[in-house]
Amino acid sequence: MKILVTVKRVPDPDMKVRVNAEGTGIVEDNMKFVINPFDEIAVEEGLRIKEKKGEGEVVIVAIGPSVVQEQIRAALAMGADRGIHVDVDSYPDPLNTAKLLKAVAEKEAPNIVIMGKQAVDDDYGQAGQMLAAMLGWAQATFAYKVEIADDNSKATVTREVDGGLETIEIDLPAVVTADLRLNEPRYASLPGIMKAKTKPMDVFKPADLGVELSPVLELVRMEEPPPRKGGIIVETVDELLDKLRNEAKVI
Amino acid sequence: MALDFELSEEQKLLKKTARDVIKQFEPKRDELREKVMKRKEFPQEVWDALAQAGFFGSFLPPEYGGTGMGLLAMAFAVEEMSALGFGNALIILTTMDALCILKNGTEELKKRFLPKIADGTYKFCFAVTEADAGTNTCRIKTRAEKKNGYYVINGSKTFITGADVADYMLLVTRTISYKEVVEKGLPKAYGLSLFIVDTKSKGITLHALPTRGIEGMNQFTVFFDNVEVPAENLVGDENAGSMALFKALNPERILAAASAVGLSEYCLNIAVNYAQERKVFRDTPIGQYQAIQHPLAEVKIHQEAVRLLTYKAAWAYDKELPPVEVGAYTNMAKYLGAELAIMAVDKAIETLGGNGFSEDYGLAHLWEVVRLLRTAPISKEMILNYISEHVLGLPRSY
Repeated sequence: MKILVTVKRVPDPDMKVRVNAEGTGIVEDNMKFVINPFDEIAVEEGLRIKEKKGEGEVVIVAIGPSVVQEQIRAALAMGADRGIHVDVDSYPDPLNTAKLLKAVAEKEAPNIVIMGKQAVDDDYGQAGQMLAAMLGWAQATFAYKVEIADDNSKATVTREVDGGLETIEIDLPAVVTADLRLNEPRYASLPGIMKAKTKPMDVFKPADLGVELSPVLELVRMEEPPPRKGGIIVETVDELLDKLRNEAKVI
Repeated sequence: MALDFELSEEQKLLKKTARDVIKQFEPKRDELREKVMKRKEFPQEVWDALAQAGFFGSFLPPEYGGTGMGLLAMAFAVEEMSALGFGNALIILTTMDALCILKNGTEELKKRFLPKIADGTYKFCFAVTEADAGTNTCRIKTRAEKKNGYYVINGSKTFITGADVADYMLLVTRTISYKEVVEKGLPKAYGLSLFIVDTKSKGITLHALPTRGIEGMNQFTVFFDNVEVPAENLVGDENAGSMALFKALNPERILAAASAVGLSEYCLNIAVNYAQERKVFRDTPIGQYQAIQHPLAEVKIHQEAVRLLTYKAAWAYDKELPPVEVGAYTNMAKYLGAELAIMAVDKAIETLGGNGFSEDYGLAHLWEVVRLLRTAPISKEMILNYISEHVLGLPRSY
């Protein structure tokens, strides 16, 4: 069983993010960067599938500048077997991310690709679906529970959907995107950290993968959301209706 | 160009693991606090989680079940733990004892004890202080006498932290009395011997002390009444325990400094969050006032200085630099660490005003913890003596 898991480097969600003065991005000084939390869940799921099968390989792929190797190494320290770094100067938009991942998936021919349902930095939540479409594979997004058939031909995936859970069966290979409740990721043990140092990591440029990047999105401006104003307590329902109608103008 | 302040990839991962391990207890923080602080019960679940992640093997070589990442690794872990408000003195004591065994013990002792320390099975306490011998270790009176393959121990130790939960203690004894050493004109530190003693041995009794400041741990006077210890539990050579002992004290001080750095971060977080929310006049958070900002900024500056010094001390220890150099950085870090932690708690209390004394924020209680750091594991004055004598080369004053 070969499992390909994608990880994205994102600012630590526990830290406060500030937009830079030019409005072109966030202030990166003194920021800590981590594996996108949904991707960490994807890594954990990959490891669990391998452990349950008693055989297999978990391959980590990350796209970005050389610093993303830190996040690959972190996933290897959790227990993944080897890493692939797709070396690009900046983080591509979802479509180009999917293009690069498609090339990696074709090269690696995994039984399953597991991704986070979205990255917590730009929150697009598109790359997984696009990748599945480009590969012509089945997809199961927002996974809550994943079970792989004994012969690796199918997977039963329970998905988080509006109002409840939905269980579907998909043919493998497929793309699965992990939701929050899929599992609780392990932390890297110290022996795991030491072992990760010697695990192999390949580096490819887009050209090595036969991909030409053509950005389809342009970041025009980034700004902080307006600060939240303090609430008020109203005395009566009539007053509430009045304020909703005349001040907030929402009804 | 060897000077490099960048953490290595595995050091960054190690710090993250330390945070992740501790953070899993975040939802149970109140429950744990109640258990540790009020009921003074040992937080075994925290110990087990750290063991499972491999922290107790971080400073031990692979042949004894460790990962060989050095004392620096443990310093990172202790700092991160303290920064999240989880201190634990027994981690520091077990680390210092394990390193003492590693550096001075026989192969047989190392094989017997280190793998079980690395996997978290064994906890160790440390017993040197006596009622009449605190800072002046040479004057201890607890005797160990060799008889038929055993050492028979008589005497008592005091201020022994965690003697109730530890499985073993590293015990400092005299195999030649102080009186005899003086009469024979031998060096005063001669005649000290170190032993690994099973805390459940026959003849050991514990008397709990009403002390404060050791977070969630009890301290004891330990009485030894003809306690038999197998001769092979001797750590280092008989009578020549002083050098092993003095070197063993460094890790304790380095980790105390690391814990001070973490504690200061913990206080800063409380104070900064409070200052950002709290409004007194108009719609301005008090954090906008320089009178509130500047003291906290000062704490941050001191914190970074102590952090650098602490890492340097751990680095010097791991690199096995000459003892005086290791001792110098270690003592400096411990000295400044205590002052930093005291300052951090004080400024945080100042920021919180009346709330600084509320049990909800726990700052007033932390005051005892940080104030103890100025006194133990070594007093501020003895550190100044050490620096004066060994670094500045001034005549010994005491």
